[in-house]
Amino acid sequence: MKARRFLRRLFGRERWKPLEARPDARAALHLQYLTFKDLITSNDEILEVIADMESKLQGGTTFGMAFVRSRAVTAASHAYRMIQNLNSLSRRRYQDLYPRFSEIQQAVEGVLAMGKVRQRGPLVLPLASVSLHDLDAVGGKSANLGEMKNRAGLPVPEGFAVTTDACIEFFEANQLWDDIRAILMNLGTGDLQAAAETSESIRRAIMAAPLPSRLEAAILDGYERLCASSGGTPRVAMRSSAVGEDGEISFAGQYVSLLNVARDQILGAYKEVIAGLYTPRAICYRAIKGIPEEDIPMGVACLAMVDAAASGVASSVDPNRPAAPRMVINGAWGLGIGTVEGSVSPDTWTVAKDGTRAVITSAAGLKETRVEPLGAGGVHSVPVSARMQPALCLTESQVQELAGLVQAAEDHFGGPREVEWALDRAGRLILLQSRPVHASARGTEPEETPREVEGHALILTGVPASGGSGSGPAFLSYGPEDLQGFPEGGVLVARHSHPQYVRVMDRASAIVTDIGAPTGHMASLAREFGIPAVLDTHRATSLLRPGAVVTVDGGRGAVYEGRAESLLSAAPSSGARGMVGTPVYAVLQEVSKHVVTLNLTDPKSPEFTARSCRTFHDIARFVHEKTFEEMFRVSDQASYEELRSVPLSARLPFTVYLIDLGGGLTPGARAREVSPQDILSSPMKALLAGMTHPELRWWMPKAMSIGGFASVTTEAIFTPFMEYGERRIGDRSYAIVAEGYCNFSSRIGYHFAAVDAYCTASPSRNYISFRFKGGAADEARRANRCVLLERILRSMDFQVERLGDLVNARIRKFSEEATLERLDQAGRLIVATRQLDMRMGPAADIDWYVSAFLKGNYLFDPDFAAVSPQGGS
Amino acid sequence: MTRPIRLLIVDDEARLVETLSKRLTARGLYVEGVHSGADALALLQGKPFDVALLDVRMPGMDGLTTLREIKKLQPLLQVIMLSGNASINAAVEGMRLGASEYLLKPANIDDVLAKIEEAFHKKLIQEERLAAQHGPGA
Repeated sequence: MKARRFLRRLFGRERWKPLEARPDARAALHLQYLTFKDLITSNDEILEVIADMESKLQGGTTFGMAFVRSRAVTAASHAYRMIQNLNSLSRRRYQDLYPRFSEIQQAVEGVLAMGKVRQRGPLVLPLASVSLHDLDAVGGKSANLGEMKNRAGLPVPEGFAVTTDACIEFFEANQLWDDIRAILMNLGTGDLQAAAETSESIRRAIMAAPLPSRLEAAILDGYERLCASSGGTPRVAMRSSAVGEDGEISFAGQYVSLLNVARDQILGAYKEVIAGLYTPRAICYRAIKGIPEEDIPMGVACLAMVDAAASGVASSVDPNRPAAPRMVINGAWGLGIGTVEGSVSPDTWTVAKDGTRAVITSAAGLKETRVEPLGAGGVHSVPVSARMQPALCLTESQVQELAGLVQAAEDHFGGPREVEWALDRAGRLILLQSRPVHASARGTEPEETPREVEGHALILTGVPASGGSGSGPAFLSYGPEDLQGFPEGGVLVARHSHPQYVRVMDRASAIVTDIGAPTGHMASLAREFGIPAVLDTHRATSLLRPGAVVTVDGGRGAVYEGRAESLLSAAPSSGARGMVGTPVYAVLQEVSKHVVTLNLTDPKSPEFTARSCRTFHDIARFVHEKTFEEMFRVSDQASYEELRSVPLSARLPFTVYLIDLGGGLTPGARAREVSPQDILSSPMKALLAGMTHPELRWWMPKAMSIGGFASVTTEAIFTPFMEYGERRIGDRSYAIVAEGYCNFSSRIGYHFAAVDAYCTASPSRNYISFRFKGGAADEARRANRCVLLERILRSMDFQVERLGDLVNARIRKFSEEATLERLDQAGRLIVATRQLDMRMGPAADIDWYVSAFLKGNYLFDPDFAAVSPQGGS
Repeated sequence: MTRPIRLLIVDDEARLVETLSKRLTARGLYVEGVHSGADALALLQGKPFDVALLDVRMPGMDGLTTLREIKKLQPLLQVIMLSGNASINAAVEGMRLGASEYLLKPANIDDVLAKIEEAFHKKLIQEERLAAQHGPGA
């Protein structure tokens, strides 16, 4: 019925005339062909998104919000286009898909918005009124400082917090979120050069944007109050205070702090710190940690500058051996940057973690430089006199006093704590920051000196900074910018430790430095990422050769020659680098519920309706099915025979229905069924020749003898289709053909195979697209089969992408002959792989199956002898 | 495919327009580039194109508004939206307004070219149908 209406619409009420005489009918057919092709393309694009999301859901590869967003948008735009095209094919019979689509769209957008809507608060808060309760409002650093000041009574600088809402207001006033998101779209993970360029573009956009005047006034007002309470016009430190920073995930040293900022520099410094959200190292850190790299508001802590004689980092436990009853304190002359960034060898004290706070060890580092404030603002590094270089920067009583403060912090926060400290010119100790310690997960091993390892010389020792063992080729880096070409599994060998090295922490198997402290940012990051690290070896960069394989024992501070298996097996490498459990992963998981999940599995079920579509996958599946239904809506009384679909009579394990969009079948072939000889479409002809290849013998029971085969294969290749009717296991398959074109698809349950091909004498537009998805087997078998398909298709020169259980293969611009030859092979592959569910176990030898297929052993018969005259190609 | 594809690129990012023009011209296309929606519409008043690559987010007249106006001027012109900003809303709105595709930046030049060729093919067939409807002599 509907078909006739459809046809009437196409052709009006004219009497039938041959197509050649009816250019409008021809054009209408062409248009239908285009609509159909768009539908197929969109369906493919959605399947690709689904497979891509599924593979990311395995958690093994790094991805960011840009990935989730772009995949969601691609799925949405193609789902929408499918609905449009189906409606144009069917005379708007599927309008009720639109409201379903809108519901899904809203659900996905809701997830992507990540609950951003909330009440706005003040732009600036004095530190005196801040505590941990204000974490979201002021960010981690300010909240921790406020907590220490107001609720733990610890000495911290005067200051104020510029809130995260201030950052949001700044970004929104300048539409910076959109700019940033657009810039980030260009970034793939792991591309260090691109990360640097991306970072610079974002920084420029942020620096060029004006601060809203309300925000300028609030910041300057905060500063005036600071002047009033401290008397004078103090220089300030402007420090990042991002939400999430200094919490469970440390972000140690990933953001920006600006020291010794004068009043007239405050507003510019504010923007610099905000721009620090997008330093290359911060971008990489978030990517590896699965933290959304967009819409993360940054607070800024604005603190009265402490004119420090000495400063450093202290930890309430030994970060590498958290069970040992002692604290570790590092310090150096001047401002604290040197210690935390690892550019000087600091003094180190260990202090008993009991009432006595006895200093257990004290070791002076060689502190060649110190950081000093500049008169005009900012800081610089100056040499330390030869006399002062080896001198300890704290007295024993100062060390004990500091240990008391650190213990108080631990007691207050209820867990191991790391603080940054400064000693001012008046000899007062002040805490500048506090965060939970990232202790080495494997740090409980008894204290030992490096072990002897048979067959592997001990080449280097240093300070153990992150436990576990790792091995790989040495990669020498003379600065954090010097990382291009860092190999997967490489051992980073660096002059200084630096938090920017986080950029390779998803790939490094261990880290060794000449200089650096276990309390520094990089060591903290290494522990967080579970990467063994040995620091302060003094000689690593001069001793280790680039590319030479070494083994690093991070727990004992030792580096060995070669790959010392005994160490590696004792300490399996950490698997903590996956995406599972990260915030971005959670977003993907939520989005995939509206994109990937398939509810409409059975076209015969009464639930297979537009109203039941709850995901983009459902829509694609539903529309795909209905597309074929619309195209093949057959009526025996159809006035225009060209559009009738006809069954194909051929020996195939499924029934194929054909529709001709022009020039695909012989003009006379309009009977109740067509035979292969009626097919003019050369790609369809080739594909069919492959699918009916006599050696396929899909109809044979498995145990049948070779003698039995012989008698069957002597039969005519194309036996009338009823004769094999009872052996057909599958549902209908469809082929849409035209001159030089075919689209074949077969879907049986979960198993989907499709070939779309165009082939003429001129190669420039020739292509084959071959897709295969799913199958009824368990996951291991499915994966095996996909690997098998991939290998076979590659051997036929296809370009193959395999995403989960979707195999997507393509060739383009091959000659006519070469294209047809591959279609023939693809046809054989489609039928042969149907056997594999049964034959191919989860631990199958894939090589054997590949060579079996290539030899023409399509039954994958272990006793197959490649002598059969019909075998091969 | 006897005549070259006439392509119009509309994007406020001058560097992108320049690079794309250069590379697509090298592939045999006739390319013109403009940097705003208003410039695009002015050009389309007097000159036919086959395919447009249209940026979604531009200062002044945005891509979606431009798309709406383009469809009034040259209904058969195939418009491929090219966006750096992954917004579902914009994508759906673009499709609703008759865009033939919504691509995300950065896009591979070969993919873009394939989409342009596809769109051009579609336009040829639509033109053919229009000509047939009005008859050869009309």
